[in-house]
Amino acid sequence: MQDKRLKYLLVVPAVLVVFATAIWPLIDSLRLSFTVGRLTRPNFPQAYIGLENYNWAFFDEPAFWNSVTVTSIYTIVTVALTTLIALGLAMLLAPGGRLRSGVQTLLILPFAMSPALIGVSFRFMFNPEFGLFDAFFGLLFPPLADISWLSDPVLAFVVCVIADVWGWIPFLTLVLIGGLASIPRDTIEAAQVDGAGGWRVFKDVTLPQLMPVLAVVLILKAIFSLKTFDQVYMLTNGGPGTATQTLSHYIYFNGFKYGQIGYSASVAWLMVIPMLVLTYFYAKFVFRKD
Amino acid sequence: MARVSLTNITKRWGDFIGVDNQSLEINDKEFLVLLGPSGCGKTTTMRMIAGLEEPTAGEIRIGDRVVNDDLPKDRDVAMVFQNYGLYPHMTIFDNIAYPLKVRGTPKAEVAPRVEKAAAQVELTEFLHRKPKALSGGQRQRVALARAIVRTPKVFLMDEPLSNLDAKLRVTMRAELKHLSRQLQITTVYVTHDQIEAMTLADRVAVMKNGVIQQLGTPDEIYNDPANLFVAGFIGSPAMNLINGSVKDGMFVTTGGTSLVKVGISDRDAVVLGVRAEDVEIHQPGEGDIDLKVYAYENTGESVMLTVQFGQQRVIARGDRHLRMDMDDTVGLRLNPDHLYLFDPASENRIGNG
Amino acid sequence: MTGRQRKQFWNAIQIILILIAAGIMIIPIIWIFLAAFKSHVDVYQLKLFFSPTLENFSTVFQSPYDLGHKLFNSTVVAGVTVLFAIPIATLAAYSFSRFRLRGETTLLVMILATQFVPAVVIVLPFFVMFRDIGLLDTRTGLILVNLAIVMPFAIWMIKGFIDGIPIDTEEAAMVDGSTRLQVIWNIVLPMAAPGLFTAGIFCFIIAWNEFLFALILTNKNAVTLPIGLALFKAEEGDLWNLLSAAGIIIMLPMFILALTIRRYFVQGMTMGAVR
Repeated sequence: MQDKRLKYLLVVPAVLVVFATAIWPLIDSLRLSFTVGRLTRPNFPQAYIGLENYNWAFFDEPAFWNSVTVTSIYTIVTVALTTLIALGLAMLLAPGGRLRSGVQTLLILPFAMSPALIGVSFRFMFNPEFGLFDAFFGLLFPPLADISWLSDPVLAFVVCVIADVWGWIPFLTLVLIGGLASIPRDTIEAAQVDGAGGWRVFKDVTLPQLMPVLAVVLILKAIFSLKTFDQVYMLTNGGPGTATQTLSHYIYFNGFKYGQIGYSASVAWLMVIPMLVLTYFYAKFVFRKD
Repeated sequence: MARVSLTNITKRWGDFIGVDNQSLEINDKEFLVLLGPSGCGKTTTMRMIAGLEEPTAGEIRIGDRVVNDDLPKDRDVAMVFQNYGLYPHMTIFDNIAYPLKVRGTPKAEVAPRVEKAAAQVELTEFLHRKPKALSGGQRQRVALARAIVRTPKVFLMDEPLSNLDAKLRVTMRAELKHLSRQLQITTVYVTHDQIEAMTLADRVAVMKNGVIQQLGTPDEIYNDPANLFVAGFIGSPAMNLINGSVKDGMFVTTGGTSLVKVGISDRDAVVLGVRAEDVEIHQPGEGDIDLKVYAYENTGESVMLTVQFGQQRVIARGDRHLRMDMDDTVGLRLNPDHLYLFDPASENRIGNG
Repeated sequence: MTGRQRKQFWNAIQIILILIAAGIMIIPIIWIFLAAFKSHVDVYQLKLFFSPTLENFSTVFQSPYDLGHKLFNSTVVAGVTVLFAIPIATLAAYSFSRFRLRGETTLLVMILATQFVPAVVIVLPFFVMFRDIGLLDTRTGLILVNLAIVMPFAIWMIKGFIDGIPIDTEEAAMVDGSTRLQVIWNIVLPMAAPGLFTAGIFCFIIAWNEFLFALILTNKNAVTLPIGLALFKAEEGDLWNLLSAAGIIIMLPMFILALTIRRYFVQGMTMGAVR
């Protein structure tokens, strides 16, 4: 067979699968977002109601805005913390050697853990009576001893952030270690010989060359922070009240607990938009010319 | 301006010995070349002077100061790296200015000094570009400019020309030589290219397996090799090395051919060394021995004859007008004034022809 | 301090920081491991020393928890997902890697983008459709949606591996008389095999850990392990010793798989953005 036909034939199955499993549902979600879409009523998904669902979200639902706020703060805090800590850890671990590569190997483990399981583990860790971290924080700051972390709106949010950061640091660290390794060693040595001390080498030579990888890491982490669901579901289930209700959780709750599929779909699509923006920037890095 | 002295320097990584208890004195304003094949410890030696590697044992002095405990930044050296080590995110100007900036040179002084250094390597018009926009030769000049923008105690150059194409390498070599004579700063230069070593050096240290085999002027290294390794490493084509023995004052090959009169007493095992240009080509019957041509190569400026000699092959360099062909017979004569004899066991030189 | 002393001092600080970081990473995991071997009395105390028991592991496999069924579901769902994803992804990846296609960049970006779409968006139409055609709470349904999250990773990862195979060998085979399909079968597949294996394991882990689809699309027959965790909430609170035992069953196989492909994790997750 001619290559010019074969090459399209080869991608057909994959493109079909991607369309069927991702593109179609994305578009169908958009369609659903313009319908009444209540699971409880017959003749699903019922009539088209234009932008009614979007109106509802924007003007009649404080809970929607609450989850927007929660998700935004959650994203900003987790992205900043994870990236900063991972950068520090990557700098610590990059030189290699037995101890450092051993720890690098350990970093795989939290990453292979299911996020749901991480959520469960942290609920365990922060149990006021027998949680290990609870005991540890209690030791450091006695006022925090035996606090019921997950019943306090602020502390519950903090625990969610800690669990997220804990789960994502390993991956980000490994990416950044890879980024550091790709910086030509002689540029760093040149700076040392030119007279720069440790901090100046980092600031003037290492960090600028790490920027592309750092940008990728930031975007990727932002995307995954925005989507956060599993951990929060297992850790606090959005509570107490709606203190830790992320957008994904809000959509899940409205769609499958209250049966408002149409409304959920509209909120879901509001969430797709920032995601597409981030994807655009991400793709720029993937297809950049070196 | 400074002497550099290495005293009993050793560098070990686990079981691997990079540099084995070596001492080396580099004089003020001297251009010293460390020459050897890859893995011989030449780069390691230089990196220890720069402070990029710590010696396992021994003492390094720059000027009067023991620098073993100094970080690279405190050693007052400048280095040109094999891949140049340019800062890709900075302009050429900022690249050259970096050693000044980081040492807190007053702002007003920076620009004139950068411009002067750039002018010395003919980069003035590229100062606002980034390294990516320059050719290999131009990048090389940036690295050079970054080194000469200050007046360091020592220049260190790690195979600075090895990434250039052959033609550019010759030009840059001359420029480098000119520059170094101008600047009069102690320089340590690492290379595996013997021509660079011969042309640039005041003295050459030939290294192998972490040991300096011979330290001397290019002239000494070429004409007075201390051992088989130096003899074989220096010169292109490599020196012909013929196995045999000495009987009744004559060198006799392993094949039993009595070849040439030599000046040492009888010995069982000897290696005779002779350079291609010291093998004279004559008509058959007019030399020491008649041999068949294995290959004839015309390089333009001379011709090379490879002849089959028992199990071995010998290369002779002849006049550029000489024309020959495979399987022709020639008479070869070894110039008795330029023969070297080595002991195959110790590999040391034991005498001349 | 001399330069070297300062360097040694900083090195010591670094080692301490590394050890602290390693501790923070590993202690929760160890704690879960310990808890899984604690009796239901010991687990409700901060005990480091206790008499270990294997009882939790047998309890979780019994009624009403019946973890064996979930283990089976998880294995089948993740396994079949991978079995579909890898061959399909390999063909596409080969074409993307070796040919210039019209609209190639658009397609690749689209595939990339689907990975970033929140799962909760994708699941809505699937829920409605599965409800209508009776695929709710079936492994088949779950496999279908899992393909959505696994395919982009698989395509991008395998493309990366094939990009790394020098084209010379293929060209030599074609000069020697092979057809394109023979080249793919005889040359590319064997050479890319480690990459396909890696991508397969990577996708298996992702499918295994998948939570949201399983939460929404299953409730009894097709429930997978991560959802099974929710079973251990009793009236009197969470049954931590059983949760921990279940946790080990979920994470231990993934740890082992992850370690075998350690080198490629970063490459896989960033889909070509970090090489």
